[in-house]
Amino acid sequence: MPPNLKALREILPQLETARSLTRRPRRDTSRKSRIEALDALLDNGFEPGDLVELVGRRSCGRFSTLLRTLAAFTGRGEAAALVDLGDGLDPGVAASAGVDLSRLLWARPRHLKPALIATELLLNAGFSLVVLDLGSPPVPGGRGHEASWVRLARTAQKRQSVLLVSSPYRASGTTAQAIIEASQAQVRWRGSGGSGRSPKLLDALGVELRLAKAIGRGPMPPRTLEWRSSHGAL
Amino acid sequence: MKTRLICLYTPLFPLAARLRSEPELAGVALAVLEGNGTAARIIASSRRARRAGIHRGMSLAQARALLPKITVRARDAACERAAQHSLLEISEALSPRVEDAGQGVVYLDAAGLERHWPQERELGVALIRAAERAGLSVRVGIAGSKLAARVAAEQAESPTLVPAGDEARFLSPLPLSRLLAEARILERLESWGIQSIGQFADLPKNEITSRFGDVGQRLHRQARGLDSHPLVPHSPPVTFDEGMDLEWPLTSLEPFLFVARAALERLCGRMERRGLACLRLETSLHLEPDGTHERSVELPTPTRDIKTLLTLIKLDLETNPPGASVIGFTLRGHPDRPREAQLTLFGPTALSPDRLATTLARLFTLLGPDGLGSPQLSSGHRPEGFGLEPFAPTPPPDEVREAEIQGYGLLAVRALRPPIPIEVIIDSRPLRVTTPMIEATERRPRIEGTVRVASGPWSLEEGWWSQEPIDRRYWDVELSDGGIYRIYCDNRSSDWFADGIYD
Repeated sequence: MPPNLKALREILPQLETARSLTRRPRRDTSRKSRIEALDALLDNGFEPGDLVELVGRRSCGRFSTLLRTLAAFTGRGEAAALVDLGDGLDPGVAASAGVDLSRLLWARPRHLKPALIATELLLNAGFSLVVLDLGSPPVPGGRGHEASWVRLARTAQKRQSVLLVSSPYRASGTTAQAIIEASQAQVRWRGSGGSGRSPKLLDALGVELRLAKAIGRGPMPPRTLEWRSSHGAL
Repeated sequence: MKTRLICLYTPLFPLAARLRSEPELAGVALAVLEGNGTAARIIASSRRARRAGIHRGMSLAQARALLPKITVRARDAACERAAQHSLLEISEALSPRVEDAGQGVVYLDAAGLERHWPQERELGVALIRAAERAGLSVRVGIAGSKLAARVAAEQAESPTLVPAGDEARFLSPLPLSRLLAEARILERLESWGIQSIGQFADLPKNEITSRFGDVGQRLHRQARGLDSHPLVPHSPPVTFDEGMDLEWPLTSLEPFLFVARAALERLCGRMERRGLACLRLETSLHLEPDGTHERSVELPTPTRDIKTLLTLIKLDLETNPPGASVIGFTLRGHPDRPREAQLTLFGPTALSPDRLATTLARLFTLLGPDGLGSPQLSSGHRPEGFGLEPFAPTPPPDEVREAEIQGYGLLAVRALRPPIPIEVIIDSRPLRVTTPMIEATERRPRIEGTVRVASGPWSLEEGWWSQEPIDRRYWDVELSDGGIYRIYCDNRSSDWFADGIYD
C-alpha cells in the first residue's frame, strides 16, 4: 500500500462529512411537544431557534398537533402565540385540549402577508413558541415570498424561539430545519347507528407522521398516533 | 425649620416655548408676535434679533425695517401650555410640592431635598440641567419667600441663593414697582416719597393696614420677606398635551406627520419622566378657516413607542381625512402605568413588558382591534362564539415544570368562520355534499364529495328569546375527499352549512 494512501486511511475516521457540518449539537434546552411521535421525529422535541413545518391535507391531525404543542408550552408557563390565518381557533376546543388561554396570544390576520409580518413581530417579542397556521386551502396569499420565510427562519434563530408552521402544502421553501408530513391513516367510528341501537359516533383519527426533511439528520421511520374524539370519551 | 422655596423662571417665555417646539430655530433671528394685522406687536425676540435693535413692543414693519430676514412666529398658546407642563414635570421629579405660577414660572418646596442635595447650589444646577434636557433655558432662585425667590431667579447669574432670613435685606433696594401691581397704591406711596421695597417695609405695619386694608397688609409682609399665601400645590394633569400652530396650512398627510413626530417625541418624553405610557391618543386638528377635526386612537396596552403611535395616527387619518387644510394641532395622551414584570432566574423565559407593549401596539395597527387578543370562552353553546381580551399573560412560575396536560390527545375541530353554505343532496345514494357555485367562486375551502359515514343528528337550540336565535341539527360526516366535517341544517331556513373540520 502506498504510504500516502496508508496515511489517508489513518486520518479518515477523524474527517467529517459535509452533511455533518450542518448538524447543530443537540442541547438540553429542547422543548417537547408532549406528542411522542412528533418528539421522536424531531430528535427529542423542538430545538430553540428551529423553524419546523407541518404539512398535511384536511383531517390529517394538523390542528390537533398544534393545539397539543401550544398546550405543552403554555402548560410549562411559557407564553405562546398563534397566528391563525384560517381563523380556525375555537377557544372552547383549545381549552379542552389543555391550552392555557391566559398565556396564548391569538392573532387573526386575513391575508398571508400580514400573517408573516405578525409572525416576525411575535418572534422578535420573545415568545417561546409562535405557531403560524395557514388553515385550509385556498390560502389567501399562496406561499408568500421566499425572502419572507428566510427572514422568519433567521429571526427564530436569533431569538431562540420555536416557529411551527402548519400548512396544507410546503410553503417555507428551503428554510425549514425539519418538515413533517402528516397524513390520515384511518378514521374510526363506533356504534352501529339506527333506531334502538347505539348511536354512531366519531371515535378517533389515526395519523401517520413522516419526516420529509431534517437538516443534519438521516431518514427516520414514520410514526403513527391517534387523536381521540370528545365523542369517543363519552 | 425655615421654609425654603425654589423659583424656576423662564426668561422670554413665549420665545422659549416656541424654540422648544421648533428647536431648529435656535440661533436664528426670531421674534414672537402677539395680535393681529397692523396691531401685532413683538413680545419677545431672540438674542440675535435684539442685537439688531429689535425689542418688545415693535410692530412687524418696524422689525423688518431693521432686519428684513427676521423669522417671525405668532404667539402659540398650545406651545406655551406644553412648555409650562414640561417645567412642572421637571419640578415634580424633584419635589412633591410644586406650584404652577404660569408663564414659565414654577415654585418648588425645597423641604427635605437637602438629603439628596446638601448644597442648594447643586440643586439649582440640577434643575437647570434637567430643563435644558427638556429644551428649556431657565433660571433658578432659592429663598425663604416666593417674591424673594422670584426676584433671585430673575438675576442674570443663575442659580442665585438668598440666605435664610436675609430676604428682607435682599429685597430692600429693589424699586417699589417690583412689589406692587396696583397703580393706585404705588402712586400714593411714591407721593409720600417711598421709592424702594426696603423703605416700604420700614413703615409701621398697623399704619399700613389702617390705610390700605388687607391688600396693604399682604404687601407689607411680602416686603419684609414673608409669604402671605402658602405654596399652592399643583395637581398632576390626567392627560398630556403637545401641539402647535403651524406656520402655513397643511393639505397633505406627510408634512403633518413630520411635525407630529416631534410633538410625539416630546409627549412620550414627558410621560417617561413620570413613569407613564400612552393608552389613548387623541388628535385634534385645527382646520382652516375654523373648526376642528377630532380623532382618537385606543391602544391595547400602554406604550411610548413613537413609531407605533405615529403609524396609528397615520392610518387613522388616512381612513378619516380632515377635509380641510390644517393650521394647528394638539395631541393629547391619556396615560397609564406601563406593564411591569418580575423576571425569574430559573423559570421559563418571560416576555419583556416594554417589548411586548410595543409589539402589541404594532400588531394592533396591522390587524385592527378585532384581530388580536387573548382568546376567551363565550357563554352559550354556539360553536362560532368566542371572546377576545387584551393580552396580559400571568407571570411565569419560578421554575420550569412539566404540568400534566388535560385533554388526552383530543381530536380538535378547526372552525370554519363564518360557516360555509353547502348543499346536501339527499335524493342520491350515497348522499352527496357540495358547495354551491356562488360560494365556490369565493376564496373559501371547497367541500365536495359523497358521504362515507354520517353521525347525528344532535340538536342545538339557543337564544330563542333573542333577535338571533339558533335552531340547528348537527351531523359529523366523513366525505370521499377524506375530510371529516361538522355540518348542520338550520331548522329555521332549512339551509345547510359546514362550520368545522375535524383536523
